[in-house]
Amino acid sequence: MEYVMGIKGKGFAMVCTSATAVQQIITMKHDEDKILPLGTHTMVATSGEPGDRVQFSEFVAANARLYALRNKSKLSTKAIANFTRGELATALRKGPKSANLLVAGYDKGKGASLYFLDYLATLHSMNIAGYGYGSWFVLSMYDRMWHPDLTEAEALEMMRLGIEEVKNRLVVASPTYTVKIVDENGIRTIPL
Amino acid sequence: MAESAYSFSLTTFSPSGKLVQIEHALNAVNQGATSLGIKARDGVVIATEKKLPSVLVDKDSVKKIVQLTPEIGVIYSGMGPDSRILVRKARKAAQTYFMTYNERIPVAQLVREVATVMQEFTQSGGVRPFGVSLLIAGYDSHGPQLYQADPSGTFFAWKASAIGKNMTDAKEFLEKRYAEDMLLEDAIGAALLTLKEGFEGAMDEDNIEVGIVGKDHEFRCLSKSEIKDYLEEIL
Repeated sequence: MEYVMGIKGKGFAMVCTSATAVQQIITMKHDEDKILPLGTHTMVATSGEPGDRVQFSEFVAANARLYALRNKSKLSTKAIANFTRGELATALRKGPKSANLLVAGYDKGKGASLYFLDYLATLHSMNIAGYGYGSWFVLSMYDRMWHPDLTEAEALEMMRLGIEEVKNRLVVASPTYTVKIVDENGIRTIPL
Repeated sequence: MAESAYSFSLTTFSPSGKLVQIEHALNAVNQGATSLGIKARDGVVIATEKKLPSVLVDKDSVKKIVQLTPEIGVIYSGMGPDSRILVRKARKAAQTYFMTYNERIPVAQLVREVATVMQEFTQSGGVRPFGVSLLIAGYDSHGPQLYQADPSGTFFAWKASAIGKNMTDAKEFLEKRYAEDMLLEDAIGAALLTLKEGFEGAMDEDNIEVGIVGKDHEFRCLSKSEIKDYLEEIL
Protein backbone atom coordinates (compact mmCIF):
# COMPACT_ATOMS: atom_id res chain seq x y z
CA MET A 1 0.00 0.00 0.00
CA GLU A 2 1.10 3.58 -0.55
CA TYR A 3 3.04 5.11 2.29
CA VAL A 4 3.76 8.81 2.87
CA MET A 5 5.23 10.25 6.07
CA GLY A 6 6.47 13.74 6.84
CA ILE A 7 8.48 15.11 9.75
CA LYS A 8 9.17 18.76 10.51
CA GLY A 9 12.37 19.38 12.42
CA LYS A 10 14.49 22.34 13.43
CA GLY A 11 15.13 24.22 10.20
CA PHE A 12 14.12 21.37 7.87
CA ALA A 13 11.22 19.19 6.73
CA MET A 14 11.67 15.58 5.66
CA VAL A 15 9.30 13.44 3.62
CA CYS A 16 9.34 9.71 2.87
CA THR A 17 7.20 7.92 0.29
CA SER A 18 6.95 4.36 -0.90
CA ALA A 19 8.57 4.04 -4.31
CA THR A 20 6.24 1.51 -5.92
CA ALA A 21 3.79 2.24 -8.71
CA VAL A 22 1.03 -0.37 -8.55
CA GLN A 23 -1.72 -1.38 -11.00
CA GLN A 24 -4.17 -3.81 -9.32
CA ILE A 25 -1.95 -6.69 -8.20
CA ILE A 26 1.13 -5.86 -10.26
CA THR A 27 4.02 -3.65 -9.16
CA MET A 28 4.85 -1.65 -12.30
CA LYS A 29 7.86 0.21 -10.93
CA HIS A 30 10.04 0.08 -7.84
CA ASP A 31 11.59 3.52 -8.30
CA GLU A 32 8.62 5.85 -8.67
CA ASP A 33 9.46 9.29 -7.30
CA LYS A 34 6.31 10.62 -5.65
CA ILE A 35 7.92 13.75 -4.21
CA LEU A 36 7.70 16.64 -6.71
CA PRO A 37 9.69 19.84 -6.22
CA LEU A 38 7.70 23.10 -6.52
CA GLY A 39 10.48 25.61 -6.94
CA THR A 40 13.68 25.50 -4.97
CA HIS A 41 12.42 25.36 -1.40
CA THR A 42 9.06 23.58 -1.47
CA MET A 43 8.13 20.03 -2.35
CA VAL A 44 4.90 18.06 -2.48
CA ALA A 45 4.47 14.33 -1.83
CA THR A 46 1.27 12.79 -3.14
CA SER A 47 -0.57 9.54 -2.67
CA GLY A 48 -3.86 8.41 -4.19
CA GLU A 49 -5.28 7.48 -7.58
CA PRO A 50 -2.37 7.15 -10.01
CA GLY A 51 -3.80 9.61 -12.55
CA ASP A 52 -4.99 12.29 -10.13
CA ARG A 53 -1.80 12.03 -8.06
CA VAL A 54 0.49 13.04 -10.89
CA GLN A 55 -1.86 15.39 -12.76
CA PHE A 56 -2.84 17.34 -9.70
CA SER A 57 0.65 17.71 -8.26
CA GLU A 58 1.94 18.83 -11.67
CA PHE A 59 -0.95 21.32 -11.84
CA VAL A 60 0.09 22.80 -8.50
CA ALA A 61 3.72 22.91 -9.65
CA ALA A 62 2.78 24.71 -12.87
CA ASN A 63 0.75 27.30 -10.99
CA ALA A 64 3.60 27.92 -8.56
CA ARG A 65 5.97 28.38 -11.51
CA LEU A 66 3.56 30.75 -13.27
CA TYR A 67 3.22 32.88 -10.15
CA ALA A 68 7.01 33.11 -9.82
CA LEU A 69 7.35 34.13 -13.48
CA ARG A 70 4.59 36.72 -13.31
CA ASN A 71 5.54 38.29 -10.04
CA LYS A 72 9.31 37.78 -9.85
CA SER A 73 8.95 36.36 -6.35
CA LYS A 74 7.98 32.87 -5.39
CA LEU A 75 5.02 31.71 -3.34
CA SER A 76 5.67 30.80 0.28
CA THR A 77 4.98 27.25 1.45
CA LYS A 78 1.89 28.46 3.29
CA ALA A 79 0.59 30.18 0.16
CA ILE A 80 1.13 27.06 -1.95
CA ALA A 81 -0.60 24.88 0.64
CA ASN A 82 -3.58 27.22 0.81
CA PHE A 83 -3.78 27.55 -2.96
CA THR A 84 -3.81 23.74 -3.24
CA ARG A 85 -6.51 23.50 -0.61
CA GLY A 86 -8.64 25.96 -2.56
CA GLU A 87 -8.28 23.93 -5.75
CA LEU A 88 -9.21 20.71 -3.94
CA ALA A 89 -12.21 22.42 -2.36
CA THR A 90 -13.50 23.70 -5.70
CA ALA A 91 -12.96 20.30 -7.31
CA LEU A 92 -14.68 18.48 -4.45
CA ARG A 93 -18.20 19.15 -5.64
CA LYS A 94 -17.40 19.05 -9.34
CA GLY A 95 -14.85 16.37 -10.05
CA PRO A 96 -12.99 15.48 -6.86
CA LYS A 97 -9.28 14.86 -7.06
CA SER A 98 -8.40 11.61 -5.31
CA ALA A 99 -5.06 12.85 -4.09
CA ASN A 100 -3.66 13.28 -0.60
CA LEU A 101 -0.68 15.57 -0.31
CA LEU A 102 2.04 16.63 2.06
CA VAL A 103 3.50 20.05 1.25
CA ALA A 104 6.91 20.55 2.87
CA GLY A 105 8.99 23.68 2.52
CA TYR A 106 11.49 26.11 3.95
CA ASP A 107 10.92 29.89 3.89
CA LYS A 108 13.49 32.45 4.94
CA GLY A 109 12.36 34.12 8.13
CA LYS A 110 9.66 31.58 8.87
CA GLY A 111 11.68 28.35 8.83
CA ALA A 112 10.40 24.92 7.90
CA SER A 113 6.73 24.02 7.47
CA LEU A 114 4.80 20.83 6.83
CA TYR A 115 1.21 20.88 5.60
CA PHE A 116 -1.22 17.94 5.47
CA LEU A 117 -3.89 18.06 2.74
CA ASP A 118 -6.37 15.41 1.81
CA TYR A 119 -8.82 14.87 -1.05
CA LEU A 120 -11.61 16.56 0.94
CA ALA A 121 -9.53 19.77 1.05
CA THR A 122 -8.52 19.38 4.66
CA LEU A 123 -5.52 21.55 5.47
CA HIS A 124 -3.43 21.30 8.63
CA SER A 125 0.02 22.59 9.50
CA MET A 126 1.66 19.78 11.44
CA ASN A 127 4.89 18.51 12.94
CA ILE A 128 4.37 14.92 11.81
CA ALA A 129 1.86 13.74 9.24
CA GLY A 130 1.22 10.83 6.90
CA TYR A 131 -1.14 8.69 4.80
CA GLY A 132 -1.72 5.07 4.04
CA TYR A 133 -2.10 2.00 6.20
CA GLY A 134 1.54 2.26 7.18
CA SER A 135 0.92 5.62 8.80
CA TRP A 136 -1.44 3.97 11.27
CA PHE A 137 1.56 2.27 12.87
CA VAL A 138 4.06 5.01 12.38
CA LEU A 139 2.17 8.13 13.48
CA SER A 140 1.93 6.86 17.05
CA MET A 141 5.62 5.87 16.98
CA TYR A 142 6.57 9.36 15.87
CA ASP A 143 4.26 10.93 18.47
CA ARG A 144 6.61 9.49 21.08
CA MET A 145 9.83 10.29 19.28
CA TRP A 146 9.24 13.83 18.01
CA HIS A 147 10.54 16.87 19.86
CA PRO A 148 10.88 20.51 18.76
CA ASP A 149 14.68 20.45 18.37
CA LEU A 150 14.74 17.39 16.14
CA THR A 151 17.92 17.16 14.06
CA GLU A 152 18.20 15.83 10.54
CA ALA A 153 19.98 12.71 11.77
CA GLU A 154 17.25 12.01 14.33
CA ALA A 155 14.53 12.51 11.70
CA LEU A 156 16.29 10.19 9.26
CA GLU A 157 16.54 7.56 11.98
CA MET A 158 12.82 8.00 12.66
CA MET A 159 12.11 7.45 8.96
CA ARG A 160 14.23 4.26 8.95
CA LEU A 161 12.45 2.92 12.02
CA GLY A 162 9.09 3.76 10.47
CA ILE A 163 9.91 1.87 7.29
CA GLU A 164 11.19 -1.08 9.34
CA GLU A 165 7.92 -1.20 11.28
CA VAL A 166 5.85 -1.06 8.11
CA LYS A 167 7.84 -3.89 6.52
CA ASN A 168 7.50 -5.87 9.70
CA ARG A 169 3.77 -5.51 10.26
CA LEU A 170 1.98 -4.48 7.07
CA VAL A 171 0.99 -7.41 4.84
CA VAL A 172 1.54 -5.43 1.62
CA ALA A 173 4.50 -3.26 2.47
CA SER A 174 6.49 -1.65 -0.31
CA PRO A 175 10.10 -2.89 -0.61
CA THR A 176 11.54 0.48 -1.69
CA TYR A 177 11.21 4.06 -0.39
CA THR A 178 12.27 7.61 -1.32
CA VAL A 179 13.35 10.16 1.28
CA LYS A 180 13.81 13.86 0.53
CA ILE A 181 14.64 16.79 2.79
CA VAL A 182 14.14 20.55 2.34
CA ASP A 183 16.07 23.12 4.36
CA GLU A 184 17.61 26.54 3.80
CA ASN A 185 19.87 25.08 1.11
CA GLY A 186 16.99 23.66 -0.89
CA ILE A 187 15.76 20.18 -1.66
CA ARG A 188 17.90 17.03 -1.70
CA THR A 189 17.34 13.29 -1.84
CA ILE A 190 18.74 11.19 0.99
CA PRO A 191 19.76 7.65 0.06
CA LEU A 192 18.49 5.16 2.59
CA MET B 1 -7.91 68.83 -37.51
CA ALA B 2 -7.27 65.25 -38.53
CA GLU B 3 -6.79 64.19 -34.90
CA SER B 4 -10.36 65.09 -33.96
CA ALA B 5 -11.70 62.81 -36.66
CA TYR B 6 -10.34 59.92 -34.63
CA SER B 7 -11.47 61.05 -31.24
CA PHE B 8 -14.94 59.58 -31.46
CA SER B 9 -13.95 55.98 -31.02
CA LEU B 10 -11.96 54.95 -28.05
CA THR B 11 -10.60 51.86 -29.65
CA THR B 12 -9.29 53.46 -32.82
CA PHE B 13 -5.75 54.73 -33.11
CA SER B 14 -5.22 58.17 -34.64
CA PRO B 15 -2.71 58.46 -37.53
CA SER B 16 -0.07 59.75 -35.16
CA GLY B 17 -0.37 56.63 -33.05
CA LYS B 18 -2.38 58.03 -30.16
CA LEU B 19 -5.59 56.92 -28.55
CA VAL B 20 -7.18 60.33 -28.29
CA GLN B 21 -9.71 59.35 -25.62
CA ILE B 22 -6.88 58.51 -23.25
CA GLU B 23 -5.35 61.94 -23.81
CA HIS B 24 -8.74 63.45 -22.93
CA ALA B 25 -8.93 61.25 -19.86
CA LEU B 26 -5.57 62.59 -18.73
CA ASN B 27 -6.98 66.08 -19.16
CA ALA B 28 -9.81 65.14 -16.85
CA VAL B 29 -7.22 64.02 -14.30
CA ASN B 30 -5.30 67.26 -14.62
CA GLN B 31 -8.40 69.21 -13.76
CA GLY B 32 -8.81 67.35 -10.51
CA ALA B 33 -7.59 68.40 -7.10
CA THR B 34 -3.88 67.93 -6.50
CA SER B 35 -2.73 64.75 -4.79
CA LEU B 36 0.81 63.70 -3.96
CA GLY B 37 2.78 60.95 -2.34
CA ILE B 38 6.26 60.52 -0.89
CA LYS B 39 8.03 57.27 -0.13
CA ALA B 40 10.26 57.49 2.92
CA ARG B 41 12.78 54.98 4.22
CA ASP B 42 10.33 53.67 6.82
CA GLY B 43 6.92 54.39 5.30
CA VAL B 44 4.83 56.19 2.69
CA VAL B 45 2.63 59.29 2.94
CA ILE B 46 -0.12 60.36 0.53
CA ALA B 47 -2.04 63.59 0.76
CA THR B 48 -4.67 65.54 -1.14
CA GLU B 49 -6.62 68.77 -1.20
CA LYS B 50 -10.21 68.36 -0.12
CA LYS B 51 -11.87 71.19 -2.04
CA LEU B 52 -15.60 71.01 -1.52
CA PRO B 53 -18.06 72.81 -3.82
CA SER B 54 -19.86 74.62 -1.00
CA VAL B 55 -19.66 75.33 2.72
CA LEU B 56 -22.95 73.50 3.09
CA VAL B 57 -21.33 70.15 2.29
CA ASP B 58 -20.86 67.94 5.36
CA LYS B 59 -17.05 67.93 5.37
CA ASP B 60 -16.61 64.89 7.57
CA SER B 61 -18.65 62.66 5.28
CA VAL B 62 -16.22 63.18 2.42
CA LYS B 63 -13.26 60.81 2.51
CA LYS B 64 -10.99 60.94 -0.49
CA ILE B 65 -8.17 58.81 0.86
CA VAL B 66 -9.36 55.22 1.02
CA GLN B 67 -8.00 51.97 2.44
CA LEU B 68 -7.69 48.97 0.10
CA THR B 69 -6.14 46.48 2.54
CA PRO B 70 -4.77 46.82 6.08
CA GLU B 71 -1.43 47.91 4.64
CA ILE B 72 -2.39 49.60 1.35
CA GLY B 73 -4.19 52.91 0.79
CA VAL B 74 -5.04 55.00 -2.27
CA ILE B 75 -5.76 58.57 -3.31
CA TYR B 76 -7.00 59.77 -6.67
CA SER B 77 -7.07 62.89 -8.81
CA GLY B 78 -9.87 63.34 -11.31
CA MET B 79 -13.42 62.02 -11.31
CA GLY B 80 -14.39 60.77 -7.87
CA PRO B 81 -17.09 58.32 -9.00
CA ASP B 82 -14.64 56.61 -11.37
CA SER B 83 -12.23 56.10 -8.50
CA ARG B 84 -14.95 54.38 -6.46
CA ILE B 85 -15.26 51.63 -9.08
CA LEU B 86 -11.51 51.04 -9.04
CA VAL B 87 -11.48 50.95 -5.24
CA ARG B 88 -14.21 48.27 -5.28
CA LYS B 89 -12.34 46.16 -7.80
CA ALA B 90 -9.04 46.58 -5.96
CA ARG B 91 -10.53 45.56 -2.63
CA LYS B 92 -12.11 42.50 -4.18
CA ALA B 93 -8.87 41.55 -5.93
CA ALA B 94 -7.03 41.81 -2.61
CA GLN B 95 -9.54 39.56 -0.84
CA THR B 96 -9.57 37.04 -3.70
CA TYR B 97 -5.79 36.82 -3.34
CA PHE B 98 -6.14 36.29 0.38
CA MET B 99 -8.75 33.57 -0.15
CA THR B 100 -6.42 31.74 -2.51
CA TYR B 101 -3.12 32.07 -0.68
CA ASN B 102 -4.05 32.99 2.90
CA GLU B 103 -1.49 35.80 2.65
CA ARG B 104 -1.78 39.55 2.07
CA ILE B 105 -1.42 40.66 -1.53
CA PRO B 106 1.92 42.35 -2.33
CA VAL B 107 1.51 46.02 -3.22
CA ALA B 108 2.95 45.62 -6.72
CA GLN B 109 0.48 42.88 -7.58
CA LEU B 110 -2.53 44.87 -6.39
CA VAL B 111 -1.37 47.83 -8.46
CA ARG B 112 -1.02 45.54 -11.46
CA GLU B 113 -4.58 44.25 -11.00
CA VAL B 114 -5.97 47.79 -10.86
CA ALA B 115 -3.90 48.94 -13.82
CA THR B 116 -5.08 45.91 -15.81
CA VAL B 117 -8.68 46.95 -15.20
CA MET B 118 -7.88 50.48 -16.33
CA GLN B 119 -6.28 49.12 -19.50
CA GLU B 120 -9.27 46.87 -20.24
CA PHE B 121 -11.47 49.96 -20.35
CA THR B 122 -9.26 51.35 -23.12
CA GLN B 123 -9.70 48.31 -25.32
CA SER B 124 -13.35 47.31 -24.86
CA GLY B 125 -16.53 48.23 -26.69
CA GLY B 126 -19.07 50.58 -25.19
CA VAL B 127 -16.95 51.83 -22.30
CA ARG B 128 -14.73 54.84 -21.70
CA PRO B 129 -11.40 55.12 -19.88
CA PHE B 130 -11.40 55.96 -16.19
CA GLY B 131 -10.98 59.69 -15.59
CA VAL B 132 -8.63 59.21 -12.64
CA SER B 133 -5.01 58.69 -11.86
CA LEU B 134 -4.32 56.82 -8.63
CA LEU B 135 -1.49 57.05 -6.15
CA ILE B 136 -1.28 53.76 -4.25
CA ALA B 137 0.79 53.61 -1.06
CA GLY B 138 1.61 50.39 0.76
CA TYR B 139 4.08 48.59 3.00
CA ASP B 140 4.66 44.88 2.44
CA SER B 141 7.52 42.42 2.75
CA HIS B 142 9.40 44.37 0.05
CA GLY B 143 9.25 47.53 2.11
CA PRO B 144 7.43 50.84 1.56
CA GLN B 145 6.19 51.46 -1.98
CA LEU B 146 4.40 54.22 -3.88
CA TYR B 147 2.78 53.57 -7.26
CA GLN B 148 0.92 55.71 -9.76
CA ALA B 149 -1.68 54.22 -12.12
CA ASP B 150 -2.93 56.24 -15.11
CA PRO B 151 -6.12 56.04 -17.24
CA SER B 152 -4.13 54.27 -19.95
CA GLY B 153 -3.30 51.45 -17.60
CA THR B 154 0.36 52.40 -17.23
CA PHE B 155 1.76 52.17 -13.76
CA PHE B 156 5.05 53.30 -12.28
CA ALA B 157 6.75 53.11 -8.93
CA TRP B 158 7.77 56.50 -7.59
CA LYS B 159 9.95 57.87 -4.84
CA ALA B 160 7.69 60.90 -4.83
CA SER B 161 5.00 62.05 -7.24
CA ALA B 162 2.10 64.41 -7.70
CA ILE B 163 -1.03 64.24 -9.86
CA GLY B 164 -3.85 66.65 -10.63
CA LYS B 165 -4.11 70.38 -11.15
CA ASN B 166 -0.79 71.45 -9.68
CA MET B 167 1.32 68.44 -10.54
CA THR B 168 4.10 70.14 -12.49
CA ASP B 169 4.94 72.67 -9.80
CA ALA B 170 4.44 70.11 -7.08
CA LYS B 171 6.81 67.62 -8.74
CA GLU B 172 9.44 70.33 -9.13
CA PHE B 173 9.08 71.17 -5.47
CA LEU B 174 9.31 67.49 -4.52
CA GLU B 175 12.43 66.99 -6.61
CA LYS B 176 14.18 69.62 -4.54
CA ARG B 177 12.89 68.41 -1.21
CA TYR B 178 13.17 64.65 -1.63
CA ALA B 179 16.04 62.80 0.07
CA GLU B 180 16.73 59.07 -0.23
CA ASP B 181 17.05 58.53 3.52
CA MET B 182 14.02 60.58 4.53
CA LEU B 183 12.04 59.28 7.48
CA LEU B 184 8.26 59.17 7.47
CA GLU B 185 8.02 62.14 9.84
CA ASP B 186 10.07 64.30 7.47
CA ALA B 187 8.10 63.05 4.49
CA ILE B 188 4.82 64.10 6.07
CA GLY B 189 6.21 67.60 6.59
CA ALA B 190 7.50 67.74 3.02
CA ALA B 191 4.14 66.54 1.70
CA LEU B 192 2.27 69.27 3.55
CA LEU B 193 4.68 71.94 2.39
CA THR B 194 4.32 70.77 -1.20
CA LEU B 195 0.53 70.81 -0.96
CA LYS B 196 0.63 74.30 0.49
CA GLU B 197 2.68 75.60 -2.47
CA GLY B 198 -0.21 75.38 -4.92
CA PHE B 199 -3.05 75.73 -2.44
CA GLU B 200 -5.60 78.46 -3.15
CA GLY B 201 -6.53 80.12 0.10
CA ALA B 202 -5.62 79.03 3.58
CA MET B 203 -4.72 75.37 4.16
CA ASP B 204 -5.91 73.79 7.38
CA GLU B 205 -6.83 70.42 8.82
CA ASP B 206 -10.36 70.66 7.37
CA ASN B 207 -9.47 71.00 3.71
CA ILE B 208 -6.71 68.41 3.30
CA GLU B 209 -6.46 64.67 3.89
CA VAL B 210 -3.28 62.77 4.76
CA GLY B 211 -2.75 58.99 4.83
CA ILE B 212 0.32 57.12 6.05
CA VAL B 213 1.61 53.59 6.32
CA GLY B 214 4.70 52.85 8.38
CA LYS B 215 6.77 49.92 9.58
CA ASP B 216 3.75 48.66 11.49
CA HIS B 217 2.16 47.79 8.11
CA GLU B 218 -1.04 49.61 9.11
CA PHE B 219 -2.43 52.12 6.64
CA ARG B 220 -4.41 54.88 8.28
CA CYS B 221 -5.53 58.46 7.75
CA LEU B 222 -4.18 61.11 10.09
CA SER B 223 -6.80 62.58 12.37
CA LYS B 224 -7.64 66.26 12.17
CA SER B 225 -5.73 67.01 15.37
CA GLU B 226 -2.65 65.18 14.06
CA ILE B 227 -2.77 67.18 10.82
CA LYS B 228 -3.15 70.35 12.87
CA ASP B 229 -0.02 69.48 14.86
CA TYR B 230 2.00 68.81 11.72
CA LEU B 231 0.79 72.05 10.15
CA GLU B 232 1.83 73.99 13.22
CA GLU B 233 5.27 72.41 13.02
CA ILE B 234 5.92 73.30 9.43
CA LEU B 235 4.31 76.71 9.28
